[in-house]
Amino acid sequence: MIYRSQRVAYAYFLAAVLLFALQIGFGFLLIAKYLGPDPLLGILNFATAKACHTNLLLVWLLTGFMGATYWLVPEESRTELHSETLAWIQLGLWLAIGVTTIGCYLAGVTEGRKFLEMPFPLKLGVVVVFGLFLYNIAMTIRKAGRFTTTEGVLIGGLAATALLFVPALIHFDNYTLDRFYRWWVVHLWVEGVWELIQGALLAFLLIRLSGADREVLEKWLYVIVGLTFLSGILGTGHHYYWIGTPPYWLWVGGVFSALEPLAFLSMAMYAYTTLRRSGLSHPNVIALHWTLGSAIFSTIGAGILGLAHTWPQVNRWTHGTHITTMHGHLAFFGAYAMIVLAIISYALPALTGRTEEERQTRLGLWAFWLMIGGMFGMTMAFAAAGITQTYLERILGLGYLEAQQKIQVHYVMVLGTGTIFAAGVAAFVLDFVRAGAPVTAPRTVIPRAVAAR
Amino acid sequence: MTKATTRRFFFGGTILFTLVFIGLTIQTHSTIAARTHDDQITDAVRNGLRVWGHYNCENCHTLLGEGAYFAPDLTQIVAQRGDVYLAQFLAQPSRFYSEERHGRLMPDLGLSPQEIQEVIAFLGWVGKIDTNGWPPRPILVSGVAVRGLPGVETSAVASGATARGQALFNGAGACSSCHAVAGDSTLVGPSLAGVAARAGERIAAAGYRGSAVDAAGYLRESILEPSAFLVSGERFATPTHTSLMPAGYSAQLSSEQIDDLVAYLKTLQ
Repeated sequence: MIYRSQRVAYAYFLAAVLLFALQIGFGFLLIAKYLGPDPLLGILNFATAKACHTNLLLVWLLTGFMGATYWLVPEESRTELHSETLAWIQLGLWLAIGVTTIGCYLAGVTEGRKFLEMPFPLKLGVVVVFGLFLYNIAMTIRKAGRFTTTEGVLIGGLAATALLFVPALIHFDNYTLDRFYRWWVVHLWVEGVWELIQGALLAFLLIRLSGADREVLEKWLYVIVGLTFLSGILGTGHHYYWIGTPPYWLWVGGVFSALEPLAFLSMAMYAYTTLRRSGLSHPNVIALHWTLGSAIFSTIGAGILGLAHTWPQVNRWTHGTHITTMHGHLAFFGAYAMIVLAIISYALPALTGRTEEERQTRLGLWAFWLMIGGMFGMTMAFAAAGITQTYLERILGLGYLEAQQKIQVHYVMVLGTGTIFAAGVAAFVLDFVRAGAPVTAPRTVIPRAVAAR
Repeated sequence: MTKATTRRFFFGGTILFTLVFIGLTIQTHSTIAARTHDDQITDAVRNGLRVWGHYNCENCHTLLGEGAYFAPDLTQIVAQRGDVYLAQFLAQPSRFYSEERHGRLMPDLGLSPQEIQEVIAFLGWVGKIDTNGWPPRPILVSGVAVRGLPGVETSAVASGATARGQALFNGAGACSSCHAVAGDSTLVGPSLAGVAARAGERIAAAGYRGSAVDAAGYLRESILEPSAFLVSGERFATPTHTSLMPAGYSAQLSSEQIDDLVAYLKTLQ
């Protein structure tokens, strides 16, 4: 750790990892309900458990992004944070909002808009937290007077995330308009500005892990995020096919979202080429795995599996089936979960006063491979479920309930592979806790940067 | 290519596509009122959207294909089931479905009678939104849509009253989404297997209060006035003896279409 105030990142990472584990707990409840007989029917219904599962995902990822920012900005701008206290207050407030939100869902208080179920006053709380966060970061950079492209892209992504939250605060009486603007938040977050965050974190990790020239990496970072917006902004149109919006969206959404894999593909090539040139020589092998893994898995999950059902003639049949579940799981995991786990893995040794060589990698690598294998299996199980559901329900005309009974076997597969995934998460948490135990004699450790070859 | 060039690519592209997106948004926004029959958004519809949100419906169901995949899509549910049935169902889902038989059961959410009416009004309004032809075929809650491939139903039009009636029964009339025609299978309404044979017995029975004098008359009456004769079974009627079948077919179907349906139903001996 070069700057003392970077230590706040540890608390953010710890919170993120624990919330991640909780998210997986709700995932098990959901698949148990799919398998039936419905456990906790009438006590904790599917809708509530689902809202907890998806909201915990958003919360832990955002917590991870914030922690990553507090780690990265001091290094990039070469200064202490403007206010460490403010970062602590922000975390406390953020977690209080998170806990209250889950409490509200369990008590049946919700706005019921998927991903944005949070009751209105708590949404205002989110705005306050983001305000504090961006203020703290902006003041840090202002004080330092050094502002790199990498952190610019990161902070641009975070600021745009806050800005795009505004439509979530507006209620429409017309359901079509409600849907239309809901996607401004959800789509433009995950297929727009969050990719800036992902791209920036990836660039930061690649600079540190490969020792490659910053100017070259940042040049290509602009290309990647440029491609993201080129395709992703009008790609919002793939949510505007069937909700009451005009038919030209079929063309606009189809063409531009078909270009979306380009950004992910270029990201994967970027990471692969950079790391290959450095010969994968950085001692933090766990961070290397997650970094390259994120670039590859986001290409498959977000890029290719998104493309699989984005074209209107396909989506017409698959819309509203488990094909979306298939894409959603691998996309979120590959693009966002893995990059957060990458930055945690990268920062952890230094955050806890250890050198990379001192760190046991065995458990961390188990966590990586179990999660990768488990998520790949879940994705395949959801794909089989989705294809079968589409064929039986949408093409043959079998009723929803009958089609569900035919795809039970795929839910068993989700449970099996999900268990493997959960074992990976447990290993990650255990590794985090072990590696996070303070060393006996505190000292300053600066993460190793590899010289370019 | 220098960093300055790629920076220009990023900023230039982002500004350009953001502007195009905002332009398309303004255009879209101006068409929504007409495409969604905005003038039909009554207070009940408005409140129904709030009920929909308050009970977190879309974290189990999809509507316009959006939501969660634990329960059936509800885009066309009011046209398929009718409001009388839906009101009874929402008041007590376990009266109509069981986990043992159907694999899924909707929890009893404790909706008030007013909330039930509002959410049905809302769903009825959603069903009329112009969705660019989605879904391409009806999505059923249960049962099987015994249809040919798209286009086959149209070709049946010229081939006589019975074929036209069958196409209507399985297609636009949506009868098959509630009534099975084979075996003793109950989807929502009673199975119509053998209904033509039973029709004669029913009008001759002592308890019959309707006005039909022959089998064809009975079948016609059962479409136009579903409550004239109630098939026994508490799942088919309200406690106040109103049939759960929608009552509006005299307005929705032409008299020729009803003749065709009767011709088809008469073949179900």
